[in-house]
Amino acid sequence: MARLFEYQGKELLKKAKVPIPRGEVAATPQEAAKIAEKIGKPVVIKAQIWAGGRGKAGGIKFAENPAEAQAVAGNLLGVEIKKLKVEKVLVEEKLNIANEYYVGVIIDPSMGVRSPVVMFSTEGGMDIETVPPEKIAQMKVDVLRGFRVYDALNLAANLKVPTPSLPVIGQAIMGLYQTFKDYNCRTAEINPLVVTKDGKVIAGDCRIAIDDSSVYRHPEFGIEVARESPTPPTELDKIAWWIEEGDLRGTAYIAQMVPEIKGLNFVGYHGLGGGGAILGVDALNREGLKIADYADTSGNPTAAKVYRAAKVIFSQPGIEAYFLGGFIVANQEQWHHAHGVVKALREELPKRPGFPCVLMLCGNREKEALEILREGTADLPGRIEIYGSEKVYETEFLAKRVKALILEYRKDRGIKEE
Amino acid sequence: MHFEERTIKVIIDEEKCLGCKTHVCAQGCKTYDRSLLVIRDGKPALSGDAEYAKRVGTECLACEYECWFRGNKAITIEAPTPGLEAYRKKYGIP
Repeated sequence: MARLFEYQGKELLKKAKVPIPRGEVAATPQEAAKIAEKIGKPVVIKAQIWAGGRGKAGGIKFAENPAEAQAVAGNLLGVEIKKLKVEKVLVEEKLNIANEYYVGVIIDPSMGVRSPVVMFSTEGGMDIETVPPEKIAQMKVDVLRGFRVYDALNLAANLKVPTPSLPVIGQAIMGLYQTFKDYNCRTAEINPLVVTKDGKVIAGDCRIAIDDSSVYRHPEFGIEVARESPTPPTELDKIAWWIEEGDLRGTAYIAQMVPEIKGLNFVGYHGLGGGGAILGVDALNREGLKIADYADTSGNPTAAKVYRAAKVIFSQPGIEAYFLGGFIVANQEQWHHAHGVVKALREELPKRPGFPCVLMLCGNREKEALEILREGTADLPGRIEIYGSEKVYETEFLAKRVKALILEYRKDRGIKEE
Repeated sequence: MHFEERTIKVIIDEEKCLGCKTHVCAQGCKTYDRSLLVIRDGKPALSGDAEYAKRVGTECLACEYECWFRGNKAITIEAPTPGLEAYRKKYGIP
């Protein structure tokens, strides 16, 4: 899911005729002051980051006048909240809240449903997962029939929303559903949907994520990497994205875990099979090692794709080892992985003698794959250890081997242990 | 000779192929890919036209590997990732 920032989501809601607070996005304190001046009343200043719980984390502040808005924005811009850098703030009119509701549309992929589900709750402003089921009204949408205004009204009426508010709330629910549909969303939420003391219904906050497969239909959002991520893509993530963007022969998922490696103990991690690969990460962490990236080449990718993934992993400055963690007895033909990895190692290792590489491949064509790895790396100047399915459950052993080889490598280079 | 698959370019130095007795590139292609490479007049040649190679090639890299170890090191495969070279230069990765 490719997430949008709150201010981008609100623009979409506005187009769907869902009322939003008056306000604009600002990248500097001066811009924030100008926006506050234009609004002409107390404002709320909200850090634009991809994280929930911003209020408690200090990412939402209030200001009574433009000068205060400038100071508050100055304090927010550039700081890290929940490990995310604030580059923009949304400056909006402060709302006089009388009531808060929740509206959401998600895709339920379970076998029995496989359709959008529209949810409405009177418990707005809270995490919907914590709301008791009796306070959530929901409807599975038959996409051929569609979602109608009376469906929206029924959802609100089921939870005894006061009659005068029903039409406007119904319209907001419809607007959210329309946004969800028009922009090929995976999720779309308004939380809270605010009823103000003077009876207006306004989208207080929203969270919208576009389906990865539909991002190409919406170049207007400027989404560079169509993938769910807690942080915006790094420079290397964007380069790596090219590998799988237009090539659907298997995956080559690569995400940098840290934009810049500082200190020791970082491993270039090349996993196979999402869940299995995580076992390897856990084992490395237990040894005090950290992964510089999380990569996953699965689904029978081409050898060229595997080669490119390995090259990207080796392009991270500061890694102390390369770990091919195939903690899975895979159905894919592992000899393609072997060919891809050998080509990358034959280019990389002569430039870094002694570099630690722990390679494990298991599953279909394992015997041939291991032969390729052994033959293809025998004359290379790295510290290379190769394992197959006899060690597939021994994540701890393999992580210890990575650590041991790193310590030897440090000794070679006169680097003291941390 | 050279030919392209979907995202890679295979370059074969035919001069080096002249003395080759193993013809492992074609064998590797048969095992790991779709027999794009065959041996004709003692040298590797495409079994179909260039479009065919681009369309059906599985980018297995096996011909290059086999040629390294059992042939005359005549094959080079280029599989660049746009932007990666410049990134490495910028961050001092050789």
